[in-house]
Amino acid sequence: MTPVDYDAELTRAGANASGVWGGLLFLARRQPLGAVGAVIMALVVFAALFADLIARCDPLATSAALSLAPPSAAHWLGADFLGRDVWARIVYGARISLAVGLGSTALGSAIGVAIGLASGYLGGWVDLIVQRVVDILQALPLLVLALVMAASLGPSLRNTVIAIAIPLIPYVARVIRANTLALRELPFVEAAKAVGMSEWRIAVRHILPNTLAPLIVLATAQLGSAILTEASLSFLGLGIPEPHPSWGRMLSESAAEYVRTAPWLVIFPGIAISLAVFGTNLLGDALRDILDPRQRS
Amino acid sequence: MAAYLLRRVALMVLTLFGISVVIFVLLRLVPGNVADIIFDAAGMINPAEKAGLERQLGLDRPIVVQYGAWMGGLLEGDLGHSYVSDRPALEEIAPRLPITAKLAGLALAFSILFGVPLGVVSAVRQNTAIDYVLRVLSLSGLSMPAFWLGLLILMAFVAWTGFIPIYSETPQSLWDEFLVYSVPAAAVGFRSSALVMRLTRSSMLEVLRQDYIRTARAKGASEPAVNYRHALSNAILPVITVIGIEAAFLIGGLIVTETVFNIPGVARFLVEAIRWRDYPIVQNLVMLIAVVVVVVNLIVDLLYAVLDPRIRYGE
Amino acid sequence: MQRRSRLFAAVGAAIALAFAAGPAPSAEPKQGGILRIYHRDSPASASIHEEATYSANIPFMGIFNNLVLYKQDAPQNSLQSIVPELATSWSWSADNLTLTFTLRQGVKWHDGVPFTAKDVKCTFDMLMDKSPQKFRKNPRKTWYDNVTEVTADGDFQATFHLKRPQPALLALLASGYSPIYPCHVSPAEMRTHPIGTGPFKFVEFRQNESIKLARNPDYWRKGRPYLDGIEFTIIPNRSTAILAFIARKFDMTFPTEVSVPLLKDVKAQAPQAVCELKPTNVNVNLIVNRDKPPFDNADLRRAMALTLDRKAFIDTLAEGQGDIGGTMLPQPQGVWGLPPEILRTIPGYGPDVQANRAEARKLMEKLGYGPAKHLAVKISTRNIPVYRDPAVILIDQLKDIYIDGELDVVETGNWFSVVARGDYAVGLNLTGNAVDDPDQAFYENYSCGSERNYTHYCNRDLEKLFDRQSMETDLEKRKKLVWEIDRRLQEDVARPIIYHIRAGTCWWPDVKGFTMMVNSAYNGYRFEDVWLDR
Repeated sequence: MTPVDYDAELTRAGANASGVWGGLLFLARRQPLGAVGAVIMALVVFAALFADLIARCDPLATSAALSLAPPSAAHWLGADFLGRDVWARIVYGARISLAVGLGSTALGSAIGVAIGLASGYLGGWVDLIVQRVVDILQALPLLVLALVMAASLGPSLRNTVIAIAIPLIPYVARVIRANTLALRELPFVEAAKAVGMSEWRIAVRHILPNTLAPLIVLATAQLGSAILTEASLSFLGLGIPEPHPSWGRMLSESAAEYVRTAPWLVIFPGIAISLAVFGTNLLGDALRDILDPRQRS
Repeated sequence: MAAYLLRRVALMVLTLFGISVVIFVLLRLVPGNVADIIFDAAGMINPAEKAGLERQLGLDRPIVVQYGAWMGGLLEGDLGHSYVSDRPALEEIAPRLPITAKLAGLALAFSILFGVPLGVVSAVRQNTAIDYVLRVLSLSGLSMPAFWLGLLILMAFVAWTGFIPIYSETPQSLWDEFLVYSVPAAAVGFRSSALVMRLTRSSMLEVLRQDYIRTARAKGASEPAVNYRHALSNAILPVITVIGIEAAFLIGGLIVTETVFNIPGVARFLVEAIRWRDYPIVQNLVMLIAVVVVVVNLIVDLLYAVLDPRIRYGE
Repeated sequence: MQRRSRLFAAVGAAIALAFAAGPAPSAEPKQGGILRIYHRDSPASASIHEEATYSANIPFMGIFNNLVLYKQDAPQNSLQSIVPELATSWSWSADNLTLTFTLRQGVKWHDGVPFTAKDVKCTFDMLMDKSPQKFRKNPRKTWYDNVTEVTADGDFQATFHLKRPQPALLALLASGYSPIYPCHVSPAEMRTHPIGTGPFKFVEFRQNESIKLARNPDYWRKGRPYLDGIEFTIIPNRSTAILAFIARKFDMTFPTEVSVPLLKDVKAQAPQAVCELKPTNVNVNLIVNRDKPPFDNADLRRAMALTLDRKAFIDTLAEGQGDIGGTMLPQPQGVWGLPPEILRTIPGYGPDVQANRAEARKLMEKLGYGPAKHLAVKISTRNIPVYRDPAVILIDQLKDIYIDGELDVVETGNWFSVVARGDYAVGLNLTGNAVDDPDQAFYENYSCGSERNYTHYCNRDLEKLFDRQSMETDLEKRKKLVWEIDRRLQEDVARPIIYHIRAGTCWWPDVKGFTMMVNSAYNGYRFEDVWLDR
């Protein structure tokens, strides 16, 4: 396994870039698809941050007169069965979907990094046990594990984040462990040991930063899969409960019921999910190409 | 090879044992058990009757004893009884297996049929318009929620043909039966083929950069010969591993697709059983899924070794 | 006022005569064919006595017979629409304390064993928890609280002995929930492979997949049933189910499963389909935990009841298709509903919502709440759309009286344990009444200590009135008593009724002889008169 100097790669990648715009411009030239992904993600983040300003109405306000109202100038994307504005719900939904996506990715990554690092760096019986746990978690398809987790925790925002985070752990742990194993053998670790640095400090100060690049690549990909998993869980009635306007919830059984009379209830949230995941995937691909030259195509 | 196999099988058994414990404990953390659900339909809970039911189902025993009973039964080939239907769990699960297997097989065929050739084209024509279109298409395939895609396909199908491709025990004709399986299989397979395409593409690109391909080119072999004879035959190996990855990926898609198309397979059954807190069904189904995933991965690894003479497992 | 004789004299024979004549069919019914219906979910078992949902009644009622039954082609269930089934006639004793049934002879169970009075006794002994064989659960045990004993007098006569007169016992016996079970089949077998005397034999029940019934060729009623069989395909996903109905994969939707907006969809996509929208005798209600502060304050509960804009609920959830009333289903579909002139006088039922809310706000302000001080509360409800949707509207309406509600969705299987434990403050609930009769509604939902009295409302004076109306043999006098009780229940904010649901059923025009009942969703599924015009 050849060690990679990620810092150098990153610097090189952004060699001529100055500031965010320069970076974006650079990305656009070298990774046009990645730039598209970045723009999509920026839009989603923008919607989530400024939902109050762009929603135009209360996503929870019900109205008899607006029940299943089609898209109009007043209600751009129509209204749902309870007369709630779909545009407002999608905008606020960005907040929830992003919170679930980022929350579960962060949680899963944090635990994954911790055990991956411990496993790779400490080796021995720690490694052995961690590997078995990872095997166990990985032998179950993500959705199956998330389903059982969600059912046993009960439906809530926090529990959904946990249910999606746990299945992510093994993927992160695997990657971090492999990188740690490679890094452990490098001369600078030897050097750090020689000057009497503690094992813990070496792991956190020297090894962890060097695993960041593959982690970013992986986390970006997982973000999309977390958003999709939340949607599937909600569709199966085990995700985010009402009245939170998550995109998955909006697509769940009660909305799907009106798919023929009010297709906007199903089409727009579906597009929102697909677009957001598409954005993370494009971005993830580009980041991988930039940060992980072994995989570069 | 024999030693490697032994080690792998031992690890596999260990993993499966771990899964059985995890699932068993997780299920018992769930608030409310099957007795609650069964009483739910009655609109009231009679504590004495509920306790009676729990005793009858053995839910009042210590969790270790319950686990022991399950494992003991499994070793004797007894999967226990469904709490809800009172019937042996095996009798509930077995008839649903071929339905899901057919669907999964068709979806897999679909994904390979489209994914591999498109992946090759995309790699060979790297950075051309075709490559970009195919990459965007495959990425968007992976970005759509499987149930959403299924619902759209179902609606479109009914709107255009008037025929609804949902499962029927007694299909009117062979054509109907084909549709009933192939439309949902296409919904699942679309996403899988996107995955296959991406993996084929990157594996193909890897091979195209290898020295022997350059050598073949230098020796004056025609471009198609290089691409398809030399490169593809080498790139196909990693693609086999995709099937291993897909086993897990497919199951996720099957769960929601079987729900949308009302297919009475094991994947939908799992969701229903979770809802009912029908532990014997959930436990055994999850174990079954784990066994499938683990065994498929083992077979893929072995296949890899058999097909690729450079790899020798021994450690 | 002479209806009394209709009820209590031994007029069974006369009714039997009317029954024999049967409904006048518009065309000559045709034999044969399989009726295909989709089913909304998988019932827990095939044993009607152990279930309390029409998910079990609808597919399995055709397997059985009752002693007496609501006339299947009369839309409104009432004491007048009860006809004999396994009983050929019935009579009350002079003191109204014994009810004797003369039983049909020559009837056989589906396994060939002859039906006798012993089976009647066995069935009710089990329901009253008096037999060694037990049901796994027995949700309607309270229906027979007033019965001391059921005796078999010879092979073909059975007698019910009562503690006090209860003319409405007959109404309970005529429900789809009251089939006669065989003595010789265990409760466990009845859950998986039910045996009855009815027009259809059980073929198969596959959990979450399908339920199949086949014609009983030896049915005691000659020439019935018309159908060769009935097949229920279980499709929990409603959009898929409706799509399948429109694509003619099914002859009929699951009864009462088509909501108002979906009905419009069906009408647009399949204009030939016959759709009926009828009350189901299921009501949406507000439950407030009167043991939990601050909701132990009567004024607070009253303010909450005052703020309900019932019409807004109906308009949003059902495009105006719903009925406002008290506990009993409103007239004319309901027999016992409060007349509008009484209903109008009950607080919160007046037409001026804003005035009601102003009054509610005053009550709240008196309690110290106001624009600056809101009351935060969790609104618990079950995690299914029919519960969740009205709960969302409720939260929206409570905002007007300084109450900030937050929806607390309870997993469906835990709902009743949560409610029974009193582990909620405010909840949104649905209550279904199998029989449009005050005896069922009042005792079950409002008597002190009843398992389904979720709010623990307890009023001993009113309970005396429950008994009085139950014993009353004069229909008009009983109605007056029932109105009095219903009015007081609403004024006491025992369990504010928001509205009574109407639900739709659709079938293709070649399905004939099916009558959708207007005051119960539980009693009209014997299916023996249904035929297919193909």
